[in-house]
Amino acid sequence: MNIDFPHRQSAHCESGVTANLLTHGGIKISEAMAFGIGSGLFFGYVPFLKMGGLPLITFRGAPGCIFRKAARRLGVEMAQEKFRRPERAREALDRLLAAGVPVGAQTGAYWLPYFPAALRFHFNGHNLVVCGREGGDYIISDPVFPGLVRCPAEDLDRARFSKGALAPKGRLYHLRRLPDQIDLGAAALAGIRDVCRIMLKTPVPFAGIRGMHLLARKLERWPAKLGDSQAALHLGHMIRMQEEIGTGGGGFRFIYAAFLQETAALLGRPELQLLSERMTAAGDRWRSFAVGGARICKGRPLPEDTYEALARRLRACAEEERQIYSDLQEVAR
Amino acid sequence: MQRTHPALEQELQQLIIAACNVLDPPTELMADAPLIGPDSPFGLDSLDAVEVVVVVQKEYDVRIGSQETSREVLQSLRTLADYIRREQGAG
Repeated sequence: MNIDFPHRQSAHCESGVTANLLTHGGIKISEAMAFGIGSGLFFGYVPFLKMGGLPLITFRGAPGCIFRKAARRLGVEMAQEKFRRPERAREALDRLLAAGVPVGAQTGAYWLPYFPAALRFHFNGHNLVVCGREGGDYIISDPVFPGLVRCPAEDLDRARFSKGALAPKGRLYHLRRLPDQIDLGAAALAGIRDVCRIMLKTPVPFAGIRGMHLLARKLERWPAKLGDSQAALHLGHMIRMQEEIGTGGGGFRFIYAAFLQETAALLGRPELQLLSERMTAAGDRWRSFAVGGARICKGRPLPEDTYEALARRLRACAEEERQIYSDLQEVAR
Repeated sequence: MQRTHPALEQELQQLIIAACNVLDPPTELMADAPLIGPDSPFGLDSLDAVEVVVVVQKEYDVRIGSQETSREVLQSLRTLADYIRREQGAG
């Protein structure tokens, strides 16, 4: 049983899965549009939540929120389910596939055997679409790969029940009913307002712009508090979260810039095009921060690469974004 | 100005060796060898990849935008050079 599924490679797994599932359902949207409508942009630094002994740093919302929010704003009825037992989870998946329904799944990327060994990492928020089964293998549209891939059922079970932070617990999701009409522009504006609210008005100190400032304060104290070796470990972790895991800070900002550009054209709002360019510049600034940090971690810092200087750069990223979200809020009001 | 094969690959090899401070670099052009990872003759890891992305943007005005683009583009010097040629051609 194989479903004719419109696989497209994408920059980020969940927004790619969202765009591909919606396109299969008849709502043809780009990955950037899915990311923006699903308000995928976020920042969180939660020092008391550890992943592999290192603090949680995230540049995106919780797994599942992009799909859920995008579906809601487009008027799509979705279904999702978690499981305690792998057998039940596999039965549910097979039932949906037999009914011709492509199924989104949250997985632990480390356990997916089609990932090259050098690129495997422990990350439980990796999303993919299961779109068929041939014997003991599932056919998978994994948006970070150029084409469909195969995965033995036992390996997929293991990935779906990966342990640790953000454990997927077999989570499945799919489209249930689509609306007769959609208003893409209104959905895009709702997504923008949500991101501005999260980034500017969060009540907790570890999210949004406040979270960036909290991280800057912590980061400049890492060498004194943790020692050089542990400080470099923390910094390397942060840069990997920023530049690798699920696309990261710089990459997410480039996707969001593409979303703003598309929305500018869709709504005929040139001011969104200007904000798109500012968001691209913000992505470049984050990437420049990462390069300075990488040089410290690799033991080849330039004179300007110090933890204090990195903290200043991080604050500059935060303040630049504060201004962008304030202006975006006005445009999307 | 677009550089032709293999001048661009050679230039990139020198640029990356300098930017990432590669110790004991290969003397021959390693155009098809893995650029990043345990099999890389340059000994580059994912933190070096960030630096490669930025130095390419600075030198060639070509942005490697996303993780998945970078994963493909940074497979080898040749895939990186091809990407730069394509992007410069498109611009």
